[in-house]
Parts: sequence; C-alpha cells; structure tokens
Amino acid sequence: MKKFTIWILLAVTLLILPEIFDSLLSISIFNQMAIMIVFALSYNMLLGQGGMLSFGHAVYFGMGGFLAVHVLRMVEYETIMMSTTLIPLVGGLFGLLAAIFIGSFSTRKAGTVFAMISLGIGELIAASSLILVSFFGGEAGISGDRTFGPPLFGIEFTQDLHIYYLGAAWMYVAILFMYLFTQTPAGRMANAVRDNAERAEFIGYSARKVRFISFCAAGFFAGVAGGLFAVNYEIITEENLNAITSGRVLLMAYIGGLGFFIGPIVGAIVLTLVNSVLSNYTELWMLYLGIMFVLTVMFLPRGLAGFMMMHRVPWHLGKLQTLALPYTITFIPGTVFVLSMIAMLEMSHVSSNEFVFLGITLNPSGAGSWALLVVVTGASFYALRRTLPQLRAAWAAATTIPEINKEAN
Amino acid sequence: MAILSLKNITKKFGQTEIIRGVSLDIEQGEKHAIIGPNGAGKSTLFHLISGRHSVNSGTIEFKGNEIQNRAPYEIARMGLARSFQVTNIFPLMSVFENVRCALLWSMGYRYSFWHLVGKQKGLNEKAEQTLHEIGLLDRRNFPAGELAYAEQRALELGVAIASGAEMILLDEPVAGMSLSEARNAVALIRKITEGKTLIMVEHDMNIVFDVADRISVLVYGEIIACDTPDKVRSNPRVQEAYLGEVATSA
Amino acid sequence: MIEVLTFATLNGLVTGLLLFMLASGLTLIFSMMGVLNFAHASFYMLGAYFAYSISLYMGFWPALIIAPLLVGVLGALVERYGLRHVHKSGHVAELIFTFGLAFLIEEVVQFFWGRATKDYRQPELLDFPLFTLFGQNFPAYKAFMIFISVAIFIGLYFVLTRTRIGIIIQAAITHPHTVGNLGHNVPFIFMAVFGVGSALAGLAGVIAGPVLTTFPGMALVLGSIVFVIVVIGGLGSLIGALVASLLIGLLQSYAIASNKGMQDLLNLFGISFERDHMLNDLWTITLPQIAPILPFLLLVLVLIFKPTGLFGKRET
Repeated sequence: MKKFTIWILLAVTLLILPEIFDSLLSISIFNQMAIMIVFALSYNMLLGQGGMLSFGHAVYFGMGGFLAVHVLRMVEYETIMMSTTLIPLVGGLFGLLAAIFIGSFSTRKAGTVFAMISLGIGELIAASSLILVSFFGGEAGISGDRTFGPPLFGIEFTQDLHIYYLGAAWMYVAILFMYLFTQTPAGRMANAVRDNAERAEFIGYSARKVRFISFCAAGFFAGVAGGLFAVNYEIITEENLNAITSGRVLLMAYIGGLGFFIGPIVGAIVLTLVNSVLSNYTELWMLYLGIMFVLTVMFLPRGLAGFMMMHRVPWHLGKLQTLALPYTITFIPGTVFVLSMIAMLEMSHVSSNEFVFLGITLNPSGAGSWALLVVVTGASFYALRRTLPQLRAAWAAATTIPEINKEAN
Repeated sequence: MAILSLKNITKKFGQTEIIRGVSLDIEQGEKHAIIGPNGAGKSTLFHLISGRHSVNSGTIEFKGNEIQNRAPYEIARMGLARSFQVTNIFPLMSVFENVRCALLWSMGYRYSFWHLVGKQKGLNEKAEQTLHEIGLLDRRNFPAGELAYAEQRALELGVAIASGAEMILLDEPVAGMSLSEARNAVALIRKITEGKTLIMVEHDMNIVFDVADRISVLVYGEIIACDTPDKVRSNPRVQEAYLGEVATSA
Repeated sequence: MIEVLTFATLNGLVTGLLLFMLASGLTLIFSMMGVLNFAHASFYMLGAYFAYSISLYMGFWPALIIAPLLVGVLGALVERYGLRHVHKSGHVAELIFTFGLAFLIEEVVQFFWGRATKDYRQPELLDFPLFTLFGQNFPAYKAFMIFISVAIFIGLYFVLTRTRIGIIIQAAITHPHTVGNLGHNVPFIFMAVFGVGSALAGLAGVIAGPVLTTFPGMALVLGSIVFVIVVIGGLGSLIGALVASLLIGLLQSYAIASNKGMQDLLNLFGISFERDHMLNDLWTITLPQIAPILPFLLLVLVLIFKPTGLFGKRET
C-alpha cells in the first residue's frame, strides 16, 4: 500500500501545483522542469542504472524533437492529422529508432570506449545537422505551431497552462514506466551488468544485449522529452542535439544523484531553477553552476539525492534530531563564507562605484570595502573549518548501530 | 557417459604456453578435483571451459556439444556454472537480488521488460529457497559488497548454483577461510552439489580427499595423473611434483 | 594544383603538429592514470590567455617560458587536490570531474578576461614571410610553430626512452603498483606527469593563440578533436598520437583546400539531381563542408573496428 501512496501523492501534487503557483513565469518553469525530468531520468537509465557514461545523449532528445516539430508542421499544412497530445510519442518513437540504429554498434563495449563513441556520434550528428538543412533547418532550426491539431475537449493548446497539464501527464506516465522498467528482468540485469559485466555473462546473459536494451529504452524516453520540448517551445535547433545539451543532462543526473531513482528528478528541478531563477539575479550564474558541479563531484559524489538518503540511517535509528544543532553550527559560518565569496565575485564584475549586496552598500573601487570582504571571508572560512570536527562527530554518533546481542554461532 | 570431455587442449598467452595438451573426461555426477602447484594453469583451465578464454587448439565437449571458444553466456545457458577465485558478485545489489538475477535466465525470463520481478511468485520463492540453502536468508537485504568475506563466498556459491546448472566449477571455494568457515563451506558444497557434477580446484588436501571421487594433478599445463585419491596419493610422479606436501596429510 | 597541395600540406603539418603537442600530453596522462582529461584543452586555453596577459607587460618571449610553467603548476595542483580526491570514487567520477573542470575553467576565463576575442599577436621578430611559393606567402611564425612542435617530440621521446626518469614513467604507466613497491614515489610521479602534460598543453596554447584566435570557446573547438586523436592513435601510444595528429591535420587541410564535393563524385557516374530534391543537401555536400566532421567519422569507425586504436595495446 505504501508504494501506491507515492504515486497518488505525485498525481495530486501535479494537479494542484498550478493552482498554488499560478504566475506565467511559474508555469513556464514547471513546463521546463517536466521536460528536463524526463530527459534526466532517461539519461540515468544509461548511467546510473546501466553504468554507461554517454556524452551524446542529446542526439535522441534532439532527433525526437526535430521529428516532432516536422509532424506539427505537417498537421499545420494538413498533410496528416494528429492530436498534439500524441506528439511526444512521435518524438519517443524517433528517438527509439535512432537508438536502435546507433546502439547496434555502440553498445558492444562499456566504459571509456562507449563514452568516446557517444561523444564522436554526438559531434558527428550535431555537425551533420548544420549541413542537412532541409531536415534540421540549419542554424535557425525548425519551428512549428502546436495549435493546429484537433482540439481535445475544446482545448487548442494555445496557453502554456494547457501545455502544463499535457506535460505533467506525459511526465507522470514516463516516470511510471521508467520506474517499472527498473523492476523488470531487463532492468535488473542492467544493474547486474553495471556492477559486474563478466559475472552477468556467467549467469547466462549477454552483457551487450542487456546494454542495447537499456540504450534503446533510454533513447525512447529522451525522444519523448524532445517531443515535449517541441510542443512547449514550438522550435527546435541544432543546440538541442549538441554536446552542450548532452553535458547539461549529465550535469543534472550527476548533481541529483546517479544511484537513486529520484536523483535525476532532484537534479532536473534544481538545475532548472538555477537556470531560470538565478540567471535573473546575476550574470555569473554559470560560474556558480560550474563551481557547484566541481564541488559536488568532489565532496558529494552521490549527489543531492545521495546526501538526502544518507540521513536514512540516523532516521531509522531515531537520531535524526541530534544532527540539527551541529548542522546549524556549521551552517552559520558556512553561509557567511559563501555569501562573502559571492559578494567579492559579483563586486569585481561591477563597473560603477556602487554595489548593493543584500542591502549593504559597498564601493567596488574602495579599498575599505574589499578589505572588509576579505576579512569576513577569511574569518568565516576559519570558523567553518573549526566547526567541521563537531559535525563529523555528530554524524559518527548518529550512525552507530547500538550493540545488540549477537546470535551464538 | 562423459558429461565434459577435453581433448588435447592447448593455450598460449603471448609466447608462454600455459596449457600444453590436456585431455580429460569427467563422468556425470562425478566429484572431480584438480590440484597442482601454483602456476600450473588450473584457473586457466577453468577459464577455457567456461568460455572466458579461447583455446589455441583442441576441443571441449559438454553434453556432447562443442563449447570451446563460445561466449560465456552461451555456455552458462547450457547448464554449466562456475564460481571465481576472487569473489565475483554484484556488489551494489542486495544479496537477494544477486541470487534472483542468477535465476532469471533458467526460469525463462530472458530480456523481458514486461514482467515485474517483484510479482513473480515462483522466482521469488526459489530465490528465498536458495538463500536458505546457503544460509544467507537473514542477510537478504544487505548490499552484497558489505558482507563478510566468508558470507560473500557463500553468496558466490549461491549465485553459481542458483540456476540449477548440471555441472559446477568451483575455483578454490574455501580460499582465505578459517578452519570452521571452511568446514561449513564444504558441508554446503556437498549439500548443494548432490546429484550434480562438480569440478573443484583446491589446495587443501584434506578437503580434496574428503570430497573427490577422482583427482587430476595439473603440473606445468599437463595432467600427470588422473585417478582415485588413494592411487594419486601414492603416485611417485605426484609426490615428486609436490615435494612432500602430499605425504604430510596421509 | 601543386600550389594548393603544397600549402595544404604545410598547413596540415602545422595543425597536425600543434594537435600532437596537445595529444602527447593527454596520451601520457591517460596511459598513466587511465583518465581521459577533459580539461586538457582548457589548459591549452589557459596557456594562451596567460601568455596574452604576460605579453602585454613583458612581450611574447618571456610569455613563451612563463605561461606554460604557470599552467603546469596549476595542473599539478589540480591533480594533487582534485583528481586524487576523486580517484577513489571510480573512473566515471574522474571523467565527470575533468568534464566539470573544463566547464569551470571556461567560466573562470570568461570571468577574468571577458567574452571578447583577445588581440594576442605574433611577436614582431617572426612577423615576416619565410618564403614565397607560387605567389603565396608562408609566414615565418608557422615555421616557428613547426620547429617548436618537432623539438618537443624529440625531447619527449628522448626523455622517455633514454633517461632513467623516463623509464620509470614508462613502467609506472603499465605497472604502477610494482613501481611503487620498488620504492619510487608514484603519487609524485603522477602529479609531475600531469603537470608536465598540462604545461605542454599550455605551451601549445601560447604558440597557437595568435594564429587560431584567443577566445573562451577555443578549448571546446580543439578539445574534442584532441580526444579523437588520442583514441584513434591508440591509448598510450605516443607514436600513435603523432600519426593520428598528422593524419587528421592533413586530412582536414586537404578537405578544406579542395573544392570537390559529392556532386563531382556523382557526375563521374553520370548522376545528377534537381535543385529541390528532398535529399538535396546530401548531394550537394562538398569536402570543405564535411571537413569538421571527418575526425569524428574516423573516430567512430576506428572504435568499431579496432577499439585499441591504430597503435594501441591497451583498452580501458
């Protein structure tokens, strides 16, 4: 029964979300999140569950998106008739087709060879897309119109809100099926091949075929995400196929956490927020993103989801609240440190004589302001270092399993 | 009827000949041990039989079919399972999952993405049964990589026999175990290989003489003796090869 | 025709040797640590930018020496405090780390130097045509680039095969544990090799900056090609890296220089298509157009048919 509650909760949340956050900006951000969640989850089928690091996953996203836009155009010019609601499926099928073709030779090996092939294919296709102008539209891409399909219960998909419900529905279905896949023999063997490809062969499975199936499934769902993108933005370009988009989805999956199903969901949500919200506050958001990425790889290799899951053990032991105070003690100097670093970075980018940060007015060309920031940064860093041992001790205490009587052996 | 038949197997790695013309017939239901000094090629022989390496010449027949140079998964599907000298399980998956995966092919699931493993009664029951047999039922949800060494070896055994293979190759199954752990392991091996063919590489002579119906002695890639334990023990060539190791366990 | 061929060959040589300077460092680092360093081309970019800034105050020639050293030190620090820390999380984590590093370095460069292309000039000493052939000039600077690249190759080859430290490095490449057991400080060797490899990339940047333009995207442009080279040439093989670099440099150069296209090929067979045929793009493809994708095409083909590369012995 517990399992079903999560799915019901998710459905309910999706239904009421636009009621709570009803601004146009919020809806547009939600739509973006839906696309990225499906995309990132599809990527994790490869990396987190299959152990296949791909630098070219955007190909299936982009291919799905391109066919989707072409179909939208065909509906517009009345060459065929199709409801806009089915467009993501079209994207998925084309992504699947591309994955079957490319996977037939690229899944032979895993590891670095696979990563390099995926990079090569990705670059090849992205570059080819600029040459094959009739399908890919060159630098300007291809655009379409989603309002020409037959109306669904009177809705013609003119508003972003309509797209929200369409996107949410598709996302729900996609999450469900991707989750169910992990519970099938194919999905379980994908984990086994990831853990130990050789052993998997010795229990009767061709590692290559297992990888191929994961690869095709991942391609399908990436194509679905591409189709959702097409319906949402009504335009698709070479950028949606290239290494930058491939890099973005890798970032999302990794920061979210590869080893957990919800990891990529967390990563997609966080990164979409950073992308859309943070970029309004500072020009340097990409720099912060890069720093966050590197720090996550170094100190949180299991991602944000991994970090959250770490707290399961203390929770089971009933010791979760013992961490509250230690966290606060570390959090205070930590926050000050981060904020003062940000202040320094932002200030060095300002050309005028005045810079307002969190209500404090500073002078970018005055030595006094700089001295202040340097001192605050240094002091908070020092204080932060001093608080780490107590946090570590608190964690150690919160995760020790109390001695139980061991069975006599 | 010989269930496994090796005819004149040779294997070279680069210029070095590891296996130099090995011929061996194993009868169905036999418990056969392969012993020999380090570097004799025992593990290599296993790799050749199970498909990890290809032979340079010679044939290997299993149940009448030629299996040399075939892919490991093809051979596994024919009913041949093996364990490894260095523990070779799925570390990130739970103990239960390890065993359940080992059962998938033999229970006909193939590459299905339309069955949910959680709902497959027969599959899950058999996995539980296997776990019970190897004594790891109370560890079922542990990540396999976090088990104690002896427990991992037991799991290794479980994964090897789960599929119901007719012939099992065990490569130094009790290596690194304490005396009591080894005793338990041998009892377990006996229990689960009842009625099946077993080929075992082992150094501990007590275990070998206890379990084996026949012993092959592999020295520098050649079998210098293949006979019942008593005859092998008194074989002068064997004694020479071991320089007295056999004598102490008499 | 001959003049096109000659200049195409010379230009291909310049590009190829430059690519080799990058690929040699990457090969060494890969074969030693098993990590394909995505940030390698970023060090190339840093070399160009450092040299640019230094040359503003001190001129080109001091920059030629100082910039690579700076980059080398940076590389060593990255290995010591970054890569080594991530190493225990596995190969995938290392790859992702270097990928993130590449991203970060590009942002940092934009932060300090801005997004515009920098006016990084060749030194006046070399700003003259070395010779004139068939009415076209060949700049002395390009000859200088060839000279430095060749000198590096000879120097590397000499150090690796004739000196003691070189032999130790070669051994550590295939048997790090054994070399460690023999008493050599393998972590230090790793750090030094990473530093030297990065310095080489930086040096490539110093020389290439004036010619290939200095802008924040320069790492991305060259980065993927360098990977292609290292993989095609064979992971761990310096000779392979050289051959592959020259191959790709020349191939691209010839493709760009020639104007032949698919149409010429089809005309040979007497086939032609009208203008708005659906696959018109394919039929009108010219060699210069596909020049940028040739390396990737080659990569995919090599990986399918010979995953160890042309000269490699090791796969990952």
